[in-house]
Amino acid sequence: MIYMVKIGLEIHCQLNTKSKLFCSCSTNISEKEPNSETCPVCLGFPGYKPVVNKKAIDFTIGIGIALGCTISNETFFSRKTYFYPDMSKNFQITQYEIPIATGGSIDIEGNKIRIRRVHLEEDPAKIVYANGDISTTEYTLIDYNRSGIPLAEIVTEPDIETPKEARKLLEKISAILEYLNVYDVSKEASLRVDANISSEGERVEIKNITGFENVEKALSYEVIRQKSMTRMKKVIERETRHFDETTRTTKGLRKKEYEEDYGYIFDPDLPSIRIDDAWINSIKDNLPELPDNKVKRFVGEYKISDYDAGVIAYTGKDMADFFEDCCKIYKRYDNISKWIINYLLKSLNWNSQKVSESKVKPNTFIELLEIMDNGEITERYAKELIKEYVDSGISPRALAKKNEFKVTDAELKKTVEGILKENEKALEDLKAGKENAKQYIIGLVLKATNNQANPKLIIKIMEELIH
Amino acid sequence: MKVGKLIHLKEFLEDAKNGNVDIGEFTAKVFSETKKIQEKFAPFITINDSIGELKKGRIFPLPISVKDCICTKGIKTTAGSKILDSYMPPFDATSVSKVKENGGFVLGKTAQDEFGFGTFSTNCAYSVPKNPYDRERSCGGSSGGAACITAAATFPHVAIAESTGGSITAPAAFTGTVGLTPTYGRISRYGLIDYSNSMDKIGVIGKEVFDAALLFSVISGYDPLDSTSSKVETKDFTRFIEKDIKGMKVGIPKEYFEGIDEKIAKNIMERAASLESLGAELVDISLPLTKFSLPSYYLIAMSEASTNLARYSGLRYGLQENVSGNFSEYFSDIREKGFGKEAKRRIMLGTYARAAGFREAYYIKALKVRQLIINEFKNAFGKVDVLLAPSMPITAPKFSEIENLTPLQIYNIDKLTTAPNMAGIPTISVPAGTVSGLPVGVQFMANYFDEEKLISVASAIQK
Repeated sequence: MIYMVKIGLEIHCQLNTKSKLFCSCSTNISEKEPNSETCPVCLGFPGYKPVVNKKAIDFTIGIGIALGCTISNETFFSRKTYFYPDMSKNFQITQYEIPIATGGSIDIEGNKIRIRRVHLEEDPAKIVYANGDISTTEYTLIDYNRSGIPLAEIVTEPDIETPKEARKLLEKISAILEYLNVYDVSKEASLRVDANISSEGERVEIKNITGFENVEKALSYEVIRQKSMTRMKKVIERETRHFDETTRTTKGLRKKEYEEDYGYIFDPDLPSIRIDDAWINSIKDNLPELPDNKVKRFVGEYKISDYDAGVIAYTGKDMADFFEDCCKIYKRYDNISKWIINYLLKSLNWNSQKVSESKVKPNTFIELLEIMDNGEITERYAKELIKEYVDSGISPRALAKKNEFKVTDAELKKTVEGILKENEKALEDLKAGKENAKQYIIGLVLKATNNQANPKLIIKIMEELIH
Repeated sequence: MKVGKLIHLKEFLEDAKNGNVDIGEFTAKVFSETKKIQEKFAPFITINDSIGELKKGRIFPLPISVKDCICTKGIKTTAGSKILDSYMPPFDATSVSKVKENGGFVLGKTAQDEFGFGTFSTNCAYSVPKNPYDRERSCGGSSGGAACITAAATFPHVAIAESTGGSITAPAAFTGTVGLTPTYGRISRYGLIDYSNSMDKIGVIGKEVFDAALLFSVISGYDPLDSTSSKVETKDFTRFIEKDIKGMKVGIPKEYFEGIDEKIAKNIMERAASLESLGAELVDISLPLTKFSLPSYYLIAMSEASTNLARYSGLRYGLQENVSGNFSEYFSDIREKGFGKEAKRRIMLGTYARAAGFREAYYIKALKVRQLIINEFKNAFGKVDVLLAPSMPITAPKFSEIENLTPLQIYNIDKLTTAPNMAGIPTISVPAGTVSGLPVGVQFMANYFDEEKLISVASAIQK
């Protein structure tokens, strides 16, 4: 039996403007004491009026353009009313009828995921449950530092077919947002996702998931749960669920018997905003090159494969910049991409680092490729050396030199002699001038010396011995 | 008639400027008189007790009363509601800081219907102001306290009031004072506790047109802290007092005379005739959409009010209790105790009018009607300079009469003020004699930002 799964995402992105959406409080709240970055506006005091942060509108227009949306020429804010302890006014200033951007799309390996809308809204406060669990907590604490931080909400159509695809979409959108420089990837919870999933029955919403891996896990769990419900002939009801990161399962929060009624009205404190073509164009003209365009350019300009260009561009803007900086000083571009993708990224990932946060620099990285090219070290040794290089940032040549002296010339000569004695066939081939045999012996010697020998010296010793 | 004597502000301020007023003596007298008035007519929720150093500005040393829905730093501000009991705003509303910058001081916070929800200042959690003409009667509302102290003051004074659907015109008419409701956005709403933000307007009530024009000049102007504040430049509106009105076209909209007390209508028409004798031209005009303004006004006002009042949940300010039960139980309990009957009624009606399934039929439709009414006014002001109409269909009723009115009958009394208020055009209400010893008001309406025409015509009629 084939299950058709439909997934739609609501992605909330905290915009990295300097100040909040409707007041001048700072958005830099990490490690701040709870409720220290607040004012009467974001605390919802009576008499205060919101004044919109134009930068947040600029950012949202930029996101809309990057996702291929149409930008509305007139937009406005609405009040979404519901009582919840994280809401300073018990209404959220958001956008309802006419969001800033509508009707875009993103391509995930040939599947077009439509973007329904991108709108701007204020983040509610942060709720801290006394025991960390929403369902069993005895009391709740509220930190209003987050209250009023601008959020761009990206809403997709239910075009996503698998949990994995949902994750890929998030990774792609995250990279685009990073390129736009509108959000801080490193910030905790700067992307939060509500996922809607329906397979056999009613639509189920999983609220407030942080982390792309968690989104995939939550959806995968939900697919299995819904399948087994169906197998057991149980009805899947419309409900809101919560993802528990420790058990990797979803738990029911509340049943939804009908559509929520938020009683939207136009926010009468905020006049509608005209976004004329000049405004849109000024943002369009200043948009950075987006990852898809980078991929195209890298393929054309550096003749690297689509796949390599994609990995480099979507790893992050810093990696793309790193690649291009390397290309300025070293012309075997495909070798650069090969070494980035196969080895550099592995070492960086091992350290959970971005290239921009690491000690890796274009000139030293290229040095590694050069000393490999001119035979100072073997490729095999380079693969070992790169780990040490990524950790230390020390010039690969210096590293190689430092390591070289660990085996004395006499010791090395002894080792080579011994290996040649044990490999008669290889010795004959070597005498016949076969390159394969040469590499084979070098490999054995390196293995025996724990990669602590200089390949050039090994060759020299070999040649002396066979002549 | 027991109203306070008339002191011409212009002369008083002139005296003060020339050093002929002993400030200590003056303020002591103001507060002792205020205490007496409070005992008799109860216009205040709070009387200010520390006025601080006064600046030597344009209105030095004028006492200004402030409606309680306008925030005053360090002076209790409740908007007439128990739910804001003992709320101390950490800041001054822009209008209040402008008063202080110009040498005035806050006399106290005037009584009002809770959050502005009323026409008679009887929906009050605190004091109910009594009409200086007859203590058995209402001052009108919701700026009843502001009109009350203005009428009763025996010293120079002007009131900062506020109108959403007629809350300046009604009490001005009932107390024989001058009430100016400016164009929406002309006085900053920063610091005003919201009733219906798209219609709330801070305005002024004075004994004479000059008083209103003076305070209006001082507190109006663009304010970046209020996104709906207008950038149209303000000016010295006292310059338009008694300006020649020869040739001014005064429209008489027939719909505003339907179902009006005949004696009131007669008074108003006498005023119109006097304008004619001053050279104004009377023009009969029809505003057929007027009858739709009342229901649309209430739908918009209640929809917005029900969202504004959502924030009062006993968490960070205002009425609070020991937390017990879950969030829903706690805030429901606080709201049950803190809101009066009319506030609860408007929350329920407003929530209904914007609920899914009804929103289109009520809230959205009312907004469309508002746009049509705006167009009708704009069209009318293409033909005439100002419109003249009775301010209220009745004179100040007795409290005992009000008790017997249904909410709908009370809402209906606003029928002459809801249209201009929802359109956001400026209006002024001026005394137009008395009927059976009770004041009658005549109101003028003008196009957006044409307050100067109102001031000229109102001062002409006052003369």
